[in-house]
Amino acid sequence: MSALDDAQEEAKADMTPMIDVVFLMIIFFICIEFKVLESKLDAFLPTDKGSQSTVVEPEEQLSIKIHVESKGSKMKVAGTSQAQWQPFTPGVNPNTNRPLRFALTGHKVKWEVGPKPIYTLQALKDELVRIANDPASQIPDKKTGGQKLMSCVIEAYPGAMYADVAATNDAANAAGFEEVNFGGGLGPGK
Amino acid sequence: MNLEKMVQEELDMDMTPMIDCVFLLMIFFVLVIDLSQKNLEDLILPMAEFQEPDEEPPENRPILNVLQNGTVIYSSKVYYDPAQHGKNYAPIKQLLGDIRRIGLANKTLTLVDKDVGGATAKVMDEPILIRADKWTEWHYVGEIMKQCSQPDIAFWKVQLALSQEDKETGKKSKSLTRGQ
Repeated sequence: MSALDDAQEEAKADMTPMIDVVFLMIIFFICIEFKVLESKLDAFLPTDKGSQSTVVEPEEQLSIKIHVESKGSKMKVAGTSQAQWQPFTPGVNPNTNRPLRFALTGHKVKWEVGPKPIYTLQALKDELVRIANDPASQIPDKKTGGQKLMSCVIEAYPGAMYADVAATNDAANAAGFEEVNFGGGLGPGK
Repeated sequence: MNLEKMVQEELDMDMTPMIDCVFLLMIFFVLVIDLSQKNLEDLILPMAEFQEPDEEPPENRPILNVLQNGTVIYSSKVYYDPAQHGKNYAPIKQLLGDIRRIGLANKTLTLVDKDVGGATAKVMDEPILIRADKWTEWHYVGEIMKQCSQPDIAFWKVQLALSQEDKETGKKSKSLTRGQ
């Protein structure tokens, strides 16, 4: 009788830590779902503008221009397939009191890396990698006295979207450009 | 009889502190999630292939949100609305100036000396994060950057927010599948 009691007690007492661990794991996984998966691109602004008295010799830099080929049409997002999207009508979200969001379909841009026109993001990446590996892209580094890769400047023409500039910055980073500058805003799109 | 009582007591007592702990943990995490998302507007960020995960964001980093129409939001409050202010970007400068002034007064932001072309200037040590929607015109983001680079604002470390997943199309960044 005593042995049976012992066995019963052991079997029941074993459950508690297991349930404990399971609950903790459930909470852990719920929390991961809520976590915002975001990342960042560092874009250091030039600090030597506006507050300097000496004239600095301009450094050679690579210019990447973004021209808008077609602005695209505004659509209401419904599902992840573009075929299900509806034409967009402006309005306000009653829950958040913020304007309703839209997506653009058929938005197309053209890049100009130096004088060369480029039409796809992949081609832009390839071209930037080629330039980054070209010995002619090395310029003297005034701080260390050695050589460094020239900086590049992204110039977004009117109508360019945040997504276009972010993708361009991303491609430049992937190619190994460490210093990416942004040309001044060239005005809103029409 | 005595032994049976003891066994029963032990079995009954096990559950209570465990449920207690679980509930406390749940409440703790729910609150933490709510607090950390207060500054983030509901935007769809563009996806990028090559990116730095924003794993340990600096605690005091200010976050500016830019909606699709160019509205600038800080801490859930609208500071600049293109429909109202048009080409008058003074409210953005005012906002950045206020963030800087309050941050310096509370010691949450700090100034450092930086060598700029031979002279030293005081610039902000903390970065600033700009979260813009995928389909926000770049022009509005560029305008914030222009204001950030003014010598009396001097937020020179600007970070652009990206996402590892495009929620519009459901496409995921390759860097996620590479296990980074």
